[in-house]
Amino acid sequence: MVQSIYPLFQSLSDLTGFPVKSLCDFGVEGHIMSHLSFVPIILLSCELHFYVLQLEVAGRTYIPVVEGSHITITKGTKLRIASFVHGSDGLGNQNFPPPRSKKIDQSAADFLIEKANKYPGEVTVVALGPLTNIAMAMQLDPEFSQKIGQVILLGGAFAVNGNVNPAAEANIYGDPDAADIVFTSGADILAVGINVTHQVVLTDIDRVKLSKSNGRFSQYLDQILDVYFTYHHKAYNIKGVYLHDPTCIIAAINPSLITFTEGVVRVQTAGIMRGLTLFYNKQKRFAEVTEWSDKPSVKVAVTVDAPAVISLLMERLMNF
Amino acid sequence: MDSVRATSNGDCNGAAPTVLSNGPIPIQKVIIDTDPGIDDAMAILMAFQTPDVDILGLTTVFGNVTTKQATNNALLLCEIAGRPDVPVAEGSPEPLKGGLPRIADFVHGTNGFGNLSLPPPKRNKIEKNASEFMVEMASKYPGEVSILALGPLTNLALAVKRDSSFAKNVKRVVILGGAFFASGNVNPAAEANIHGDPEAADIVFTSGANIDVVGLNITTQVQFTDADLSELRQCSGKYTKFVGDICQFYRDWHVKSDGVCGIFLHDPVSFALLVRPDFFTFKTGVVRVETQGICAGHTLMDHGLKRWNTSNPWTGYSPVRVAWTVDLDGILSFIKGLLMKL
Repeated sequence: MVQSIYPLFQSLSDLTGFPVKSLCDFGVEGHIMSHLSFVPIILLSCELHFYVLQLEVAGRTYIPVVEGSHITITKGTKLRIASFVHGSDGLGNQNFPPPRSKKIDQSAADFLIEKANKYPGEVTVVALGPLTNIAMAMQLDPEFSQKIGQVILLGGAFAVNGNVNPAAEANIYGDPDAADIVFTSGADILAVGINVTHQVVLTDIDRVKLSKSNGRFSQYLDQILDVYFTYHHKAYNIKGVYLHDPTCIIAAINPSLITFTEGVVRVQTAGIMRGLTLFYNKQKRFAEVTEWSDKPSVKVAVTVDAPAVISLLMERLMNF
Repeated sequence: MDSVRATSNGDCNGAAPTVLSNGPIPIQKVIIDTDPGIDDAMAILMAFQTPDVDILGLTTVFGNVTTKQATNNALLLCEIAGRPDVPVAEGSPEPLKGGLPRIADFVHGTNGFGNLSLPPPKRNKIEKNASEFMVEMASKYPGEVSILALGPLTNLALAVKRDSSFAKNVKRVVILGGAFFASGNVNPAAEANIHGDPEAADIVFTSGANIDVVGLNITTQVQFTDADLSELRQCSGKYTKFVGDICQFYRDWHVKSDGVCGIFLHDPVSFALLVRPDFFTFKTGVVRVETQGICAGHTLMDHGLKRWNTSNPWTGYSPVRVAWTVDLDGILSFIKGLLMKL
């Protein structure tokens, strides 16, 4: 099984009126978002052709797909693939045919750097997976952090338990060293962690409503969501699913639906808490210099208007 | 008078007992493991003011001061309390992994008592070391001895290693340590007592003993303001002069460090947890301590909200009770009542 990141790129300005260009990646939930928003999407998970397929389903084959790193920033194997959450194909085991279009011939990091150079300060990266590609771009081009517009990332568990284990959230756990590079890079970063995304639940009832609607993707989504719902029923004992990636996209297209705080985030890269995100609000003055001292601040989401996110999502999926 | 339940209700020395319906708490045998320390001194003097608490001994550890200074200070506190019968057993001078411990003399002064000038103690420590003393008492009174751990957990970890039945023999271990889903005080990840010996803390938390822990997420909520401190100084309680004197240095550090005109009552809160758990609510879960990397000393509890699909470093250990909320009015008047007592 290969884990790859497939960023896409498109000007959002025409579609949303926002002066924004966006890059992102995704799995099942991201797929929901591709229909919800007009936002260009990117997928992160498993087999490449399914991501390209997503674009075919959405009729957006003009959006380029770029394959990212198969290994971590420290050249380690990406060990944990969450097939038990998303299915072995990342799309709920639906046996879709291979996509007709192809990825473009460039690495994700190079693509990120190229676009940041072409549109300095204008490109928003929506990072929905481990942060390997972005960290690589930062290492390849020391000016990338300043040239990129904003990095809105789905990752971390701030003052709550993780979802891989009690300490770590899945995306950060996927490449903790890369995450620490990104958080301390000085780029304009907004982190949306599971402390926020766990507030946004698409319920079993919502899913039934969706499947009965005339939305263009209703049946398709109902199929791919089955594995995801079953996993949540079992693991969390809730009658619904967490909308991690959609919430992160919402943070990009409608920032008024979240609030955030600012401070330094470091990532634990060793030991039993590898992947832990630890936030320092810069309020307390410590007696000694710490690993958080003199590091740039980032934004960390703290609240979300969950009902608004759900109703926006339902409205788009049922009527689009 | 049921002194454990004494509350000041705002009046000096007049501590009117608040009688609760669930009856008196039986006398408990307690060993206080400590690195005194200004707020340690407050907690220890509170314990001496509580007839329901039978102090079997004080054991010492590094932290606020060196272990040697801690022993000196523990002996002094017994003298001040007029309790030369209470044995003081010296503990480890260094954390399990060795090396010079970090000493918080900038918080407590070089002598641990805010640099207040005091004569040397007249008495000596006992020959047994701290972990030997703990093990001996726990096997002498199985199921009866509670340990109030106010410093790094080195001595307790050594007791756990020394005697495989120690964890089961102790009645209860009440730990001041950690910061649960809150900032540390040594750095953003770690609280001082756990940071002082993360390896020892992880051994103790995973030992299977009956553990209650209170961390910075609770103890920083419980403060004496400058007004509370001057109220204390104006009382003619048995220890109010001493406590008022040593608190000045401690208070000035809080202004610099946290912008608080007052003091955090870390150790007195822990003593309250020992005798008045009814002031608290708890979350129960397995607690592990990170021993490596930039977050060494971080305490992390599994809330148990998720069924993990594979085992992880929290799997298979006994849960502990983590203090989650505190009755602020209740605990403050309890602490004041004991500190102002004649």
